Amino acid sequence: MFTSPAQLAGYGADGLGYKNHLPDAVVIPADAEELASFMKGAKALNVPVILRGAGTSLSGGPVAVQGGVIVHTSSLKSVREIHVEGFWCEVECGVALNDLDAVLKPHGVFYPPDPSSGPVCTLGGNVASNAGGAHCFRYGVTSNYVLGVEAVMLDGSVHRFGGPAGGRGLWREDWKRFMIGSEGTLAAFTRFWLRLLPLPEKVWTFRATYPDLKSTEAAIHALVAHPSYPAAIEMLDPRGVAMVESSQMACGLPEGSFMLLVEIDGPEALVNARVEPVAEILRQAGSQDVMFSDADDIRKKLWKARKASGGLLGQLSPSYVVQDAVIPKRALAEVLQLVYDEADAAGIRAVNVFHAGDGNLHPNFLFDSRVPGELEKVELISKHLMQRVIEVGGTLSGEHGIGNDKSSYMPLVFGPDSMRLQLAVPATFNPAHQMNPLKVFDNRRFTA
Amino acid sequence: MNVFPPMLSERLFVPFLDEVDGTLCLSAGATAAEMTAQATAHRLRFPLLLDESLPLKDQVAATTHAPASLRFGPYCDNILGMNWRLPSGRIARIGERVVKTTTGYDWLRFLLHSGTRFGEAVDYVIRLRPDCGFTAIAFFEGAHKALQTCVSKLLHSGWMHWWDAVDFITEGTASKVRVVVHCVLEEADIFTRQLELIASSSHAHLILQHHAPPPLDGLPDLVLKTTTDRLADLAAALSQEVERSIALCYSGVLHLYLKPGEDLAERIHALVQKVAPELHALGGDWHSRWLPAMPPTVTESAWIHTLEQAIHDSTTS
Repeated sequence: MFTSPAQLAGYGADGLGYKNHLPDAVVIPADAEELASFMKGAKALNVPVILRGAGTSLSGGPVAVQGGVIVHTSSLKSVREIHVEGFWCEVECGVALNDLDAVLKPHGVFYPPDPSSGPVCTLGGNVASNAGGAHCFRYGVTSNYVLGVEAVMLDGSVHRFGGPAGGRGLWREDWKRFMIGSEGTLAAFTRFWLRLLPLPEKVWTFRATYPDLKSTEAAIHALVAHPSYPAAIEMLDPRGVAMVESSQMACGLPEGSFMLLVEIDGPEALVNARVEPVAEILRQAGSQDVMFSDADDIRKKLWKARKASGGLLGQLSPSYVVQDAVIPKRALAEVLQLVYDEADAAGIRAVNVFHAGDGNLHPNFLFDSRVPGELEKVELISKHLMQRVIEVGGTLSGEHGIGNDKSSYMPLVFGPDSMRLQLAVPATFNPAHQMNPLKVFDNRRFTA
Repeated sequence: MNVFPPMLSERLFVPFLDEVDGTLCLSAGATAAEMTAQATAHRLRFPLLLDESLPLKDQVAATTHAPASLRFGPYCDNILGMNWRLPSGRIARIGERVVKTTTGYDWLRFLLHSGTRFGEAVDYVIRLRPDCGFTAIAFFEGAHKALQTCVSKLLHSGWMHWWDAVDFITEGTASKVRVVVHCVLEEADIFTRQLELIASSSHAHLILQHHAPPPLDGLPDLVLKTTTDRLADLAAALSQEVERSIALCYSGVLHLYLKPGEDLAERIHALVQKVAPELHALGGDWHSRWLPAMPPTVTESAWIHTLEQAIHDSTTS
C-alpha cells in the first residue's frame, strides 16, 4: 500500500492529464484472492474504491475524484490459457494488450481490439471502457470479444459471468453485458475469457490525400459500402499531418491535405484481387496521390505515425482534451467544420485524427489549463460539439468511456425513462456509489 | 453540476434507412422479407436471417445467432438500438443508431435476449451490410473425419473471416458441412478454388450451388451454446434424439430441430437435463422457445428485483 504524497503523485490523473485528483492511498493486490479480500474489507473502510490498470484512459475514468483508495491491478498479469481449437483465451485483468498479442501470435490467432495505447493499456481497462481502435471498423470493439468476466463485488463475493462458451452460464440473465463498459462503477474485474480470430495472411495499407473535407467524406462513404470490407479507415486532417511531419515520426506525408489511411486484409489470393478496386475508389473520390504497400516496414511506419499522434499532442501542448463522439457518417464534413469554426474563433488549436469508418471523431483541443479562461473555452466548444453530435443522431463516446469528462453531457442522451434504467444498474450492484463515484453520471456521489 | 438540464421526453427512434451507414430502423414486427425489400433497394442486406415470413423479433426470441454470425457476429452485434415498450406501455429508447458506443450501461445487449420480463421491442435499428450480388452454397460430403477436417481447414486460416457461414448439419445418420459464400461475382472463382482445395485435401466431396438464395433454416426448437471445439461432439451425442441439428461451427452454437408432437416440450426438457451441466461449466447456456427460462439464482433474484423496481418507478413517476 502507498500513502506518501510522492508515491501517490503518479495516480492523480489518467490520460486526461489536466484534471488531477490525488487518492488517499493506493493498494496493489498480489493476486485475485488478495483483491477479493481487499474488496470485502473496503466496504467497511467506507471510502471510495477506484480500480486502475495502466491509467491510459482518456476520459478521467480511473482517478479519485472523491478521494479514497485506488486499487492498482498491475500484478494480475497472467495469460492463463490459450485454446486455439476453441478460439478463446483466459487472461488476467492486468495483462497489457500488446503483450497478449505477442503471446497469441505464434498460435496463429489474435485478439482484434487495438487502441493506440496497446503497448501499455491493460485488458481490465479495455473491458471497463469497452475499448476500440483503428481496426474496429470491420472487427468490432471489446464487447464483441468478451466471452466471460470474473467480477468481485463490494461484499467480496466473486461471480463468473459467462466463460469460454460466451453464454450466460448458470445465470438466468446475461449480466456480463452490464459489466463490459461499466468503467469500474459496478465491480472489480479479475479475469476474462476472450474470443480470438485467425490471423489474416495478407495486409495491404493505402494512403490517399484529398484537398478538402467534402472529397475526403466522399471517399469514406464509398469505402464503407465496398465489398472489400476494409479493416480500418482512418483520417488525419492537415493539422494532424503537419504535427506528425514535424516530429520524429515523420514519414513523408504530403502536408496541407486531408489524409486517409485504409487497410484491407485477408487470404492472399482474395486480398490481392481487391487492391486495385480499393485504389480506384480512393482515386475516384478525388485523390491524385494514392499509394499502397504490403511491405511491413512501410505499413508499420504509417501506423506508427497514426498511433503516436496522442503522444505528440502531449508534447505540443501543456494540456489537451480528446473527444470521442460517434456520428452518422453523412454528417462527417459538417461536424468537422463545426469543430474548426468553433476552435478557430476561440483561438484554440484543434487537430482531428480519428476512426472515419466508424464515424468515431477524435477532435483534440490543445490548450494551456494554466492560462485563465482557456479551459472554459474548450469546455464551451465541447458543449456545442456534443449538442450537434446528438442532433445529427450520434452519441457521446465510441470507445473511451464517459469518466468524469463527459458525464455532464449525459442528460443530452437519455430521456427520463432511459435515464432511470441507466441509474438502476449501479443501484443494483453498487447502490452507495462507493465504486468509482462521480463517473459516468455526475450525480453518482458516494455518501459515506 | 449539469451542463444540460434533464430531458423531459425520450429521443425515440423514428423509421429511417441510412444507406451511408448501412442502418435501418423498422418495426420489430417487420418480417425478414419486408426488411430485405427495403435493404435490397440500396444494395444492402441483413445477413442474420432464419425465416423469411416471421418477424425479426421472433427470430431474436428464438436464438442469439444465425449461420452468418460466423462473419458478422450474433444478433446483439447487429441490432444497434431499440424502442422498448416497458411493462406499463411507456416506450424508452435503448442503444444508438451509430455502429459504436460506450455511452452508459449496455441495456441493449442485456434486454435483447431477456425474454419479456422487462418489456418488449417495438422497433429495431439494425446494421446492414453491403450486398455483393453473388451467393453460393457449398456442401462437403464424406466420412465424419473428413468433414471434421474440412471444418478445421475452413476455420483455422485467414479465410475464416470471409465465409458467411460454416455449418455442420446432421439429419438422421447423414452429415454434411455447409459453407455460404457471399462476394462480388469477380471473386467467385477465387472462393471456388479455395473450396475445391479444401475438399481435395480433406478427401471430401464438394457440391457447389452458384447463385443460390441464402439458406433459411427456420426457428430452432432448442439452442445450445458451447465452445467451438466442443460443438462437434455435442452434435454427435444428440444426433439420434433430434430430427436435424445445425452446428454454427465458429459461434459454438447448436440449433436443434425436433419432430413436432404433443410431448415436444418434454423431449426438449430431457435433452436440456442431459447437457446443461457441461454447458454451464463452460459458461455456455441453453434456450428454447418451448420452455420457460431457467429460474434465477438467489443472488440474481435480488438483482432482477432491483431492475424491475427501477422499471416500475419509471412507469409510475
